[in-house]
Amino acid sequence: MSKWAMVIDLDKCTGCGDCIAACKIENNIAIVDPEEANSGRVMFWIEMVSVYEGEFPNIKIKRFPKPCFHCENPPCTKVCPVHATYKNDEGLVGQIYHRCIGCRYCMVACPYTVKVFNWYEPEWPVEFRKCFNPDVSVRTKGVVEKCSFCAHRLIKVKEEVDLEGRDIQDGDYMPACAESCPADAIYFGDLENKESKVYNLAKSSRAKREMENLGTEPKVVYLSKRE
Amino acid sequence: MQKNLIYIAQLISLIVMWIFVIGIAIWILNLISISVELRDAPGVSIGISIIAIPVFFTIASILTYVFVGLQKDYKSNSKTSLEG
Amino acid sequence: MSKKIDYRNEIDATLYKPIYETGKGFYITVGIFLLLFLWALFMYITQVWFGLGVTGMNQPVSWGFYIVNFVFFIGISHAGTLISAILRLSKAEWRRPITRMAEVITAIVLAIGGLHPILDLGRPDRVLNIFTVGRLQSPLLWDVTSITAYFTASTVYLYLPMIPDIAKLRDKGGKFTWFYKFASWGWQGTEHQKKVLNRAINILMVMVIPIAISVHTVISYIFSMTLQPGWHSTIFGPYFVVGAIFSGIAALLIVMIVFRKVFHLEDYLKKVHFQYLGTLLLIMSLLWFYFTFSEYLTGIFAAEPHEMHIILYKFTGPYAIFFWMMVICNFLIPVIILGFKRFKTITGVLIASIAVVIGMWLERLNIVVPSLANPRMELTVGMYVPSIVEWALFIGGISAFVLGFVLFSKFFPLISIWETEEGRKESVKEVEKRVKSYLPGGEIITK
Repeated sequence: MSKWAMVIDLDKCTGCGDCIAACKIENNIAIVDPEEANSGRVMFWIEMVSVYEGEFPNIKIKRFPKPCFHCENPPCTKVCPVHATYKNDEGLVGQIYHRCIGCRYCMVACPYTVKVFNWYEPEWPVEFRKCFNPDVSVRTKGVVEKCSFCAHRLIKVKEEVDLEGRDIQDGDYMPACAESCPADAIYFGDLENKESKVYNLAKSSRAKREMENLGTEPKVVYLSKRE
Repeated sequence: MQKNLIYIAQLISLIVMWIFVIGIAIWILNLISISVELRDAPGVSIGISIIAIPVFFTIASILTYVFVGLQKDYKSNSKTSLEG
Repeated sequence: MSKKIDYRNEIDATLYKPIYETGKGFYITVGIFLLLFLWALFMYITQVWFGLGVTGMNQPVSWGFYIVNFVFFIGISHAGTLISAILRLSKAEWRRPITRMAEVITAIVLAIGGLHPILDLGRPDRVLNIFTVGRLQSPLLWDVTSITAYFTASTVYLYLPMIPDIAKLRDKGGKFTWFYKFASWGWQGTEHQKKVLNRAINILMVMVIPIAISVHTVISYIFSMTLQPGWHSTIFGPYFVVGAIFSGIAALLIVMIVFRKVFHLEDYLKKVHFQYLGTLLLIMSLLWFYFTFSEYLTGIFAAEPHEMHIILYKFTGPYAIFFWMMVICNFLIPVIILGFKRFKTITGVLIASIAVVIGMWLERLNIVVPSLANPRMELTVGMYVPSIVEWALFIGGISAFVLGFVLFSKFFPLISIWETEEGRKESVKEVEKRVKSYLPGGEIITK
């Protein structure tokens, strides 16, 4: 069974935010108006995080994109009261929007705060409404959503591969963020496949996972020379 | 007439209590079967059910016990009062 | 009412009075609180209509007033059944005028508190999903189960000791006799019936104590089962239970003092009741302080960065005022008032109880919000200001409690009449006998 994982090379990442734009369009994520967004209701499945270290004038700014980490041992799925979030056999942590009752327990339990909630009925400018991605269901108000590693793309890839009668190869299945990254800083692939880039990069000495001490075993690996 | 009606209403309320309790048991069993099916920590569900189901049944049994106990005297008493 | 019901000749006429005579005060109270309740209902409908955006919640503070009030109300509900069961079990004679009120508080507040998670749902229309696809593995479902069990047990525990009183009301006649006939289950006070009832009450009161304790433990598990700093702590179970009993006693005292004034129950609720319960409140206050102290000391001493961050945030951050007010309300005020005989009057007890109820609510706030505002990813520091909708629903919850209590007092006596009678007839003799039985040389005293 595959184990899908992402590697983000922070030494390559320019912090341009292209992954965020690609993700928003790919996944039909609502556009929240600025006032609401500032009060902490912004909707991102992949977010550009800025961490300021040190004190003025010696400030170090760390910027890194933060998708859902698709933990091997996800704290969010443990607490869901209705099986609306789950981890499947391929290690993807999914969210069933049409089953979610909106208790937000998973948001509370996630140590990485990657989940977002539809506080209002989602809204888009007219231009967006005309080009929804038909592969991703549009959410309603009152449900939790999050990065799915573009699982809809995996379904498509599997169908294509079936038709061609071969196995999935490294690079067949790429989420929108990885595909769009102009600096090629986001790698995606199968950790079980020893040939894959991701497998090798995840073992590199630069590799680091967020808050490994919690035992969540995130499947997003950051590569960075710093620290 | 009214007495019979009230007796039936009392019986119905007791039956509703039992339906509630049995409903909870069925609900918990259903959740266990789902967790077994999805291989989603069924042990936990079974553990909870072992505590929860008997609690509800005990409460319903106590109510029934009181109802039966009170009615027994009520009936025999009202009979004697009719005869006397 | 066609004919006046004769209750004035009874010894316990004061207890019957509120049932047979409806004053202006009743209609005014019901009117005001009904209006408040309807306002809250309207606000809730706007929330369902527009989405949870009308509240002040956001990311990362994705739980707010509703969960705070949920924990708070369930805490208050521990007043009743638990205290009354403990007092009955320990054969405390002074319990007689208290137990009924305590049990009513439990039943009503538990119903209100138990509904709060539904107010909190983004999709309340899907709440039945917990029946079809629920996960018993989720702490939220543990809550559903244990609250249902506690509600069932405490309602039965309220109802069974009420049967003889209902029978009394049935025999008096008047309005709703058919209802009292229905609810009295054919009680006639025969020896056998008394035996059956007593046995049932005895079984229930033993059963209700572990259920009550489990309820608040499980509520604390909602928090402590997560990995969040400030929540992930083994002390939470007992800490919540102590807090719950603490706030429960305070709420019970407030209700007792208010109804003593309104229904003129001065003959039944004497100073001794308030002093005994006041002492219990004092003990719980000290116990609460002990738990709070241990909770924070372990955090501060080990100084794990995330934990420390949240403790500092609680002590000095934007919510610091609520933290220190909590300490004042829960510890300083009750200890000063209840610790000195001079202040321990009924007014003093009332002030202490109000302080404790406010303080315990603040404690729930201090548990829920600061931890959420500082998630482990120290990137996003949240801020939470409740909106008018959340305040409305809070007030609505309190109104529902007042309405429920007032309506209950309209149909049933607030102080158990038969237990008072039983106390008058038997308990003096019984207590004498009991004391003699364990006092060395007791036989000599008789002579």
